[in-house]
Formats: sequence, structure tokens, C-alpha cells
Amino acid sequence: MSVHEQFADDILLYALGELTSAQRAELEKHLQTCVDCRHDLEQLRGDMALLALSATGAEPPLRSRERLMSAIAKEPRRAQLVQRPQPQRRVWWRPFAWAAGAAAAIVIMLLLHQNANLQRSIAGLEADSTVQQQQLTQAKDMMASLTSADAEHFILVGSKTPPQPQGKAIYVRRSGTLVFLANNMPALPPQKAYELWLIPTAGAPIPAGVFKPGASGNATVINPPLPAGIEAKTFAITVEPEAGSAVPTSQPIMVAAQS
Amino acid sequence: MMVSAIRSGDEQAMAELYSRYSGVIYSVALRVLGETAAAEDVLQEVFMQLWRNPDAFDASRGSLAGWLAVIARNRAIDALRKRRPEVDIDDVVVSCEPDMARGADWSRALDKIRGALTSMPPLQRAALDMAFFEGLSHTEIAEKTGEPLGTIKTRIRTGLLALRKVLNP
Repeated sequence: MSVHEQFADDILLYALGELTSAQRAELEKHLQTCVDCRHDLEQLRGDMALLALSATGAEPPLRSRERLMSAIAKEPRRAQLVQRPQPQRRVWWRPFAWAAGAAAAIVIMLLLHQNANLQRSIAGLEADSTVQQQQLTQAKDMMASLTSADAEHFILVGSKTPPQPQGKAIYVRRSGTLVFLANNMPALPPQKAYELWLIPTAGAPIPAGVFKPGASGNATVINPPLPAGIEAKTFAITVEPEAGSAVPTSQPIMVAAQS
Repeated sequence: MMVSAIRSGDEQAMAELYSRYSGVIYSVALRVLGETAAAEDVLQEVFMQLWRNPDAFDASRGSLAGWLAVIARNRAIDALRKRRPEVDIDDVVVSCEPDMARGADWSRALDKIRGALTSMPPLQRAALDMAFFEGLSHTEIAEKTGEPLGTIKTRIRTGLLALRKVLNP
């Protein structure tokens, strides 16, 4: 049992994956400095391992093995460390101790020079890091503004054209990152929600977030859980039950054309 | 050790590791997700993560079987909740002593664990199942069972402690 009783509940919830991101960050900060609570967490995970192991008995189909080995074969190979045999220690240099001393002095001078270069490199990297931190802060501020509840959205359309539903998906395939913004979405029937789908170039549509527009018809989906590296042919929206669906159950009401 | 061989990119070692531990990962994922295709995806993902980052497992802190079982459960719950993984596998340390993948010791340990679960009060067993395998929050379990939140928390923690005592009386 933890010596920090106030953290005991949170550690259990953390181990089960139930904490919010803010709670998780706070607890992780404490765990970095508290050996007892880390020990408590490791023990709880050990208990969970026993519970998990109680479920064993099923065996995966043979195709799973082939799938894994095939995927591994396609991975870039890690550089293999080759250990060279160490030469035998010899004492032939002892008569030339003065030469060894001179060599050591040269090596020390070279190391001092190298150290000065490294210090300059570190200073450069620190400067880069500061710039990147500023850019990250600006990006976060921008995202907070875009997704803020009090952000005003203006859409320019032809003067006689009524506002049409509009969605914009910004997708980064490499990282599987997605930001989706929607405007003028029609109100939904009771117990229904819109579901965004990533339509890959090959394979079935992938759920990319369930959303309900606010009273003004606006909605956002930020970073839904998507596997990285999927090539998107397009994105589509369907109307689904509130909890979302694993596969589309209705015809798309909106389909994107890549800009 | 097989994990050491994986560090140097030994595919044969990975195949042996698969033979030994795929049943553990697949069973846990199947128990959580209830669907073979989804369980196969978790199996693939966990092994690929181990292949890419074998140093994430620290053999000095516990058994590989226990570590893989917890990683599989967490990844399956992430898939169930359709969310990104919350905790990196590097940060998951599992204190689980016996390496229980195969053999007589494993069979005896498994019998003890299952015996402890069978003899557990049904409400406690149900709370453990809902929290661990179904991914329900404590609040959701309290609402579902109509019991106070504090009771649910106590049941889950004491249930886990009871399992610990089975192997470390």
C-alpha cells in the first residue's frame, strides 16, 4: 500500500487507464519523484497482469504469425552492433613513458578543443529549441483560438446563396493527425450524431470521430485515434447512432474533394 | 535471452517469442474486444512495438509474460475506446515475478489465480471484470450496479490485492 494515501485512488485509476490527460500529467509528475508511489503502481500492474493472464487459453490463427513475420521483414533493419575483439594488453610501451605522456598531452588538448566545439553546438541547439518552443506555443494558441467556444466563424458566400454545410479536414498521413472543422451542419434527429470517415485508397472506411454540431451548426474533431500512414482517398460524413458505428450504416451526406 | 536477440534484429528470435507469448496477448485482447480480427490487430501491434523498441521491456523488473499481458490489455482497451494509446510502453513497468508463459509452474500458478477468482464474492469479481476487461470507469460501474462509488473502488483494489496474495501468501 502506498505511503501517500491521497494518491492511492489515482494510481489505481492510472493503472486502469481511467484518468483524464490533466490528471494523468499531474500524477506522472508526482511519480517522477516518489519511489513509493511508483512501487505501488508497479505492484498494481503486477496484480493486473495476474488478472490478464487468467484469460489465457485462446490461440491466434496461423495467418497472424505470417502477417507478423512478413511485417517485420519489411521493417528497416536496425544497425547491428559488431563487437570487435579487444587486443591483448601489452607492456612494450613502458620504456617510452615520456612519449606516452606527450601523446596524452596532445590528446588532452584535442579534447579541450572538441569540448569547446561541443559547447558551441549545445548553445546553437538551445537557441533552436527556444525558437521551436515559441513556434509550438504559437501553434497551440492558434489551435485554442480555432476550437474556442467563443470563436466567431465567418463564411463568405454569394449574396443570394444560403449558407451550405461545409467541412474541412486537415490530415497528415505520416502521423495520422487529423483536424476537422465543420460549419452550417443541419440539426440532427434525436439520438443521432455525425460520424467522420477516412476513406483509404484501399480497404474499408475508418472511423475518424463522432461529432454533434452546436446550435450554430459548427463542430470540430481534433486528433481522433487513427493509425499512422494510411493514405486517404477522401473523407466522408454519415449520420450514425450517437455512440458511433464501426462501419457506415447510412449513405454519406458529405464527401470531400481534396483541395 | 530472446529479447536481447531481438535488439540485434534477430527475426528467428522474434518467431520464437511469438510461439511462446502470442497466446497470452491474443487471449487478453480477445477477452477485451470479443472479436478475433480486432484481437489479431492488437497482437500484431504489440509484437511490432516490441520489435521496434525491445528496450521498453526491463527484464530486471518483472516477467515478460506479465508485461505483455498488461500491454495487450491496455492496447485492447484503447481500441475499444477508439483512442490513442495513453501511456508509452517504455513507461509501463509491471512487477510480476514468475515468467508464466508455459510449463508446470505456469499451470499451477494459473490454477491458483483462477481458483482465487472463482472463490471471490460475485459482486467483487464482476467489478474487477467490468473495470479490467470491459474498460468501464468506476463511475460507470457504480451506475450500472447501483452501488456507491466508494464500494466499487474498494472492491476493485481488494480484489487485485487478493490475487497478489495467491502467489505471494
